[in-house]
Amino acid sequence: MPKSKDVLLEIRDLQIQGYSDEQWVDIIKGVDLTLHRGEVLGLIGESGAGKSTIGAAAMGYARDGTRISGGSIEFDGMELTTASESDRRALRGSRIAYVAQSAAASFNPAHKLIDQHTEAPVQYRLKKRMEAQEDAIELYRRLRLPNPEEIGFRYPHQVSGGQLQRAMTAMAMSCRPDLIIFDEPTTALDVTTQIEVLAAIRDIVDQFNTAAIYITHDLAVVAQMADTIKVLLKGEEVEEAPTKEMLDNPKEDYTKSLWAVRSLKREQKVRPKDTTPLISVRNVDAAYSSGAKVLDDVSFDVYEGMTVAVVGESGSGKSTTARVITGLLPPMKGDVLFKGEPFPPDYRNRTKDQLRQCQMIYQMADTALNPKVQISEIIGRPAQFYHGLKGAALKSRVDELLDLIELEPSKYYNRYPPELSGGQKQRIGIARALAADPTFIICDEVTSALDQLVAEGILRLLNRLQKELNLAYMFITHDLATVRAIADEVVVMQHGKVVEQGPKTDMFTPPHHPYTDLLLSSVPEMDPDWLTTLLEERGVDNVGEAASSNIKPGDAKVQGTQL
Amino acid sequence: MGDILGLVGKRLGIGLFILLVISVIIFFMVELLPGDIAQAVLGQGATEENLAALRKEMGLDKPAIIRYLEWLGGAVTLDFGNSIVTGERVTTLIGQRFMNTLFLAAYAAVIAVPLAIVLGVLVALLRYTVFDRVANVATLTSISSPEFFLGYILILYFSVNWGMFPAIASLSQDMTLPELLHRTFLPALTLVLVVTAHMMRMTRAAIINLLASPYIEMARLKGTPPWKVIVKHALPNAWAPIINVVALNLAYLITGVVLVEVVFVYPGIGQALVDSVSKRDFPVVQACCLIFAATFILLNLAADVGAILTNPRLRHPK
Amino acid sequence: MSIFVIGYYTLLLAASCLAAYFNKRTWFLLVFSLTLVSFILGIVGGASMLRGVAIAAGMLALSAMVAYAFREFLIAIASNDMAKELRTAPLTAAFGMFVIFTYAIAGIFAPWIAPFGEAEVISTAFAAPDGDMLLGADQLGRDMFSRIIYGARNTVALALAGTVMAFLLGALAGLLAATTGGWFDQVLGRTSDVIMSIPSLIFALLMLSIFGGALANSTTSFWLMFGFAMVTGLLVVVAKAENNVLSWLVGLAILVGVSAAFSLGMLTIFNPSEVILILVVGVIYSPRVFRLTRAVAGNVVVMDYIEAAKLRGEGKWYLIRREILPNSTAPLIAEFGLEFCFVFLLVAGLSFLGLGIQPPTADWGSMVRENATLISFGDITPLIPAAAIALLTVAVNFVVDWMLHRSSGLKD
Repeated sequence: MPKSKDVLLEIRDLQIQGYSDEQWVDIIKGVDLTLHRGEVLGLIGESGAGKSTIGAAAMGYARDGTRISGGSIEFDGMELTTASESDRRALRGSRIAYVAQSAAASFNPAHKLIDQHTEAPVQYRLKKRMEAQEDAIELYRRLRLPNPEEIGFRYPHQVSGGQLQRAMTAMAMSCRPDLIIFDEPTTALDVTTQIEVLAAIRDIVDQFNTAAIYITHDLAVVAQMADTIKVLLKGEEVEEAPTKEMLDNPKEDYTKSLWAVRSLKREQKVRPKDTTPLISVRNVDAAYSSGAKVLDDVSFDVYEGMTVAVVGESGSGKSTTARVITGLLPPMKGDVLFKGEPFPPDYRNRTKDQLRQCQMIYQMADTALNPKVQISEIIGRPAQFYHGLKGAALKSRVDELLDLIELEPSKYYNRYPPELSGGQKQRIGIARALAADPTFIICDEVTSALDQLVAEGILRLLNRLQKELNLAYMFITHDLATVRAIADEVVVMQHGKVVEQGPKTDMFTPPHHPYTDLLLSSVPEMDPDWLTTLLEERGVDNVGEAASSNIKPGDAKVQGTQL
Repeated sequence: MGDILGLVGKRLGIGLFILLVISVIIFFMVELLPGDIAQAVLGQGATEENLAALRKEMGLDKPAIIRYLEWLGGAVTLDFGNSIVTGERVTTLIGQRFMNTLFLAAYAAVIAVPLAIVLGVLVALLRYTVFDRVANVATLTSISSPEFFLGYILILYFSVNWGMFPAIASLSQDMTLPELLHRTFLPALTLVLVVTAHMMRMTRAAIINLLASPYIEMARLKGTPPWKVIVKHALPNAWAPIINVVALNLAYLITGVVLVEVVFVYPGIGQALVDSVSKRDFPVVQACCLIFAATFILLNLAADVGAILTNPRLRHPK
Repeated sequence: MSIFVIGYYTLLLAASCLAAYFNKRTWFLLVFSLTLVSFILGIVGGASMLRGVAIAAGMLALSAMVAYAFREFLIAIASNDMAKELRTAPLTAAFGMFVIFTYAIAGIFAPWIAPFGEAEVISTAFAAPDGDMLLGADQLGRDMFSRIIYGARNTVALALAGTVMAFLLGALAGLLAATTGGWFDQVLGRTSDVIMSIPSLIFALLMLSIFGGALANSTTSFWLMFGFAMVTGLLVVVAKAENNVLSWLVGLAILVGVSAAFSLGMLTIFNPSEVILILVVGVIYSPRVFRLTRAVAGNVVVMDYIEAAKLRGEGKWYLIRREILPNSTAPLIAEFGLEFCFVFLLVAGLSFLGLGIQPPTADWGSMVRENATLISFGDITPLIPAAAIALLTVAVNFVVDWMLHRSSGLKD
């Protein structure tokens, strides 16, 4: 890509403070950034790294509760930190535009898309309203939105998430800005939808040679979009390098840790012969009260000591399956067998021993642990409840459990969950499940809220515990890297149905069910050319929503892949 | 549009049902009296003949459910029977008084609603400044004070010390409108003070909540000038909360009026209710309670219907 | 122009200039707006108006000083954690705590503080204040000051008892509805909707017209109180009982005994008409408490740790006590304060209408009514008990406002 060499945005020693607990604390501690015209810079870092704050600062904007406390921000020769508010405002929308993470919340529900689109060009007197509307339709077409003539005349809640995100990109383009800030534009989307949005964004940025700052926590995504990548950690820069160099030859350990989970591998177990499965889900249909069917004829088995990963996008019924197994949602049809014996459908009718056998670990450790209860009680209660342990016996059991999850008992015994880090909380959640002495544990997206390095630690711990205690896991996830790292068998779900299942190695080698194929091919890889190659192979119109609606039920592969 | 009509219809149905349940409560609560109404009216010393005569006159020999249906049928046609104390028709007793109360409430509302909304929005825009803090303390003080405290303070200054307005809001038929407004100014002002404080706080909260929405930040990041952010992006979404605030406070006005009427000896329905409670004039008590409850429910209904009608998601269904 | 007026403006202008010079924006805005307002008031009302403003400002400053000193006092005697919380209290909240503290002292030690008995006639009607009677005499010649002190005991105790009753029933029902869900939740929710659509003052008047006033006798009020206690206790039994008949029977037997003892106890503390008043308050406000507790607990029961506890097989009582309550105490305490204000204003209003606490018991609401005629002679006596009511509700509201601000985690 040809780049002209003049500098568009230059940030020097930027410092930003945030207000919390009645005092100002530093959240950005001296970051430098240089962006040339037409260049795309990827800002990557984990939660709390301050990426979004820098993005807003590039527009001379400090969010409520933050303030720019030092450094300089120079946009095309204009110093933003000392400019007047009206001068800064005149840049926003016209020369610097912004694309927010949640398009659904960032479009005003009271106005049509196209009216919000034309607001900036009309206000800056760049175009008349009608011209701006025609231009909007043209941009919708370029971003490959369905019905470009008509979609702008809808209200935000009438349009799907992936389409809204593209409409917001179109809106950012409305004044042909020099710079666009993309703030995690695909984080809230499913992987298959993410592809189309990524492709559309990349095309349009290329076509107009717009400079961009692309903020995300996903290195594989930013590799497709950016010319240069800057890694941030806790408000400070870790390193910056051209994309290819960063991926091939990262200098800092922290950068390498960003793909820690991808490097995790384990031996794949096979099903033991001639044994009854530990848990078996038989032809389950389920629905929430007075709604449509959420699960449709779901069947699969989990064998002792093995890990079954259940994969699918949001709304595919993964979590509902877990609710059926635990008994929170009694199925309409079908049943759940434990070692060949049926489990009562409602958890309230299960015996203490049945409840003990099947434990759960949750996605959000914050909501999974009662913040007002001490660690010793959180872990101790199941041991006390199921096994009647008291006094010294209970204490030594809790110590043993804390040892098992690699936390020092004396340090954590009397603490409360809010005092712990995310990874530690997740470990406590695991200890609580282990305290019951179960044979089967459901892990519901247990690593998706965690940073990569921490997630890797949790996965290693789960693998170790499985070996030591012969546990069976049902691992619910949407992340295929996690599946590669931990699963023995894989179940792929879509729209409440199991589309394909089998051993992991089979699942990752073709031929696939078309949906599995779409899902696998949609996961970004650590290769800057991945998106380009994929679009060449599949064709621009055979990704995302379009592709998943193209799957025909009569397809030979659809028939053949059911086990 | 079908969706909206359905929702509004459903809400109206619920309102009607609640009103019906309340009429049952109001009627049968009186049945809980130890003894019966006749006993309660005549007292312990009444002879059997007198009691029997009164029971016959009031129709107490019929079963309660029949009497309830008769009472409800009458209530629908605004006929609440006769007072036990004076024997007059309840409708004539409270009809004019109800109009007076409505007048007082409307007088207060006309001043309070625009004032409170403007002040509320202003305070929301100046949030966390010294004005906001002063307004917070002032409104909190105002809503914490009993109506009679504010009323007597106003009487002390405006009427006794400065002689600007009359302390007693008696009405007569031949008063001109300016005279009427002058005479009822103090009770109206008392209500305005309390209601404005309430409404200001609620408006402020609603607006601040709205300004925290991501789409407001998006509008700012598009370079929209501040006044346009408010007018074009905040206001269209603010109608529902504002309608809600107004309706809730009007409902409050209608009932808060009872104490104010007593303080200023204003001939309204609230005073009629208090008088008949102490005289145990049950038909009047029941009628007043039903009227107050119905107005209250109607205004809450209006708030909900208003919120439904101004919701863009419901106005433009998928 | 008197010396006072000149001094007044000089002081204000000097203060605003100083504030501007030292870059204290907030103080400058405050003082200078006061100056501008004073110009207008001075023109309209003359020197006497300015004097009023000056007195008001002085009293505000005095209250601020009292509040500041009281907060420092509390911080000094509190434990470390409490002290940290207290440091975040604005002056208004500290002032509120000081007022509540004063009222509590006055109420608890009323017989020792008040110079005369609450029903003791010692002088002629409406006698002017003198050395013996700080605030003069009321319409029967009783000492106004003593009655105000006793009022702190009678009025507040009654409102407090009513709030506690409403809270026990409403909060228990709300917690149970949130943990149980299903039709139980629906039925309670709809019932409270219906009761709440009758305005509280109107509903209170309706109930008092039937049970209240002179008709209230010990038997009726005992049975009504017994019924209320049974309903409240039944909720505890429902939450605690295991799924067998025996535990239900034992629970019910204990319940009947406790309710009877409780009702008798209430009747020894309060007279029958006051018990009725407490019950009326309990019936009217428990749905409001229910709705709020249901909402607060509703935010907690969706948490995964509740699901984990349910899947472990824990009973409802454990869920309520160990999992939900510790996470809802802050909003519930704030709500208790708020409900107390509503109850207190309702009771005061009813007494003012002559339908609440009955004479000769000293009570602020009735005292306003009894002395109301004095207002037309420019005498502020009836305003004193009214101000006592307002001061307490303002104080409680100040404290609640701070607590709500803290618990909602709002950051400026």
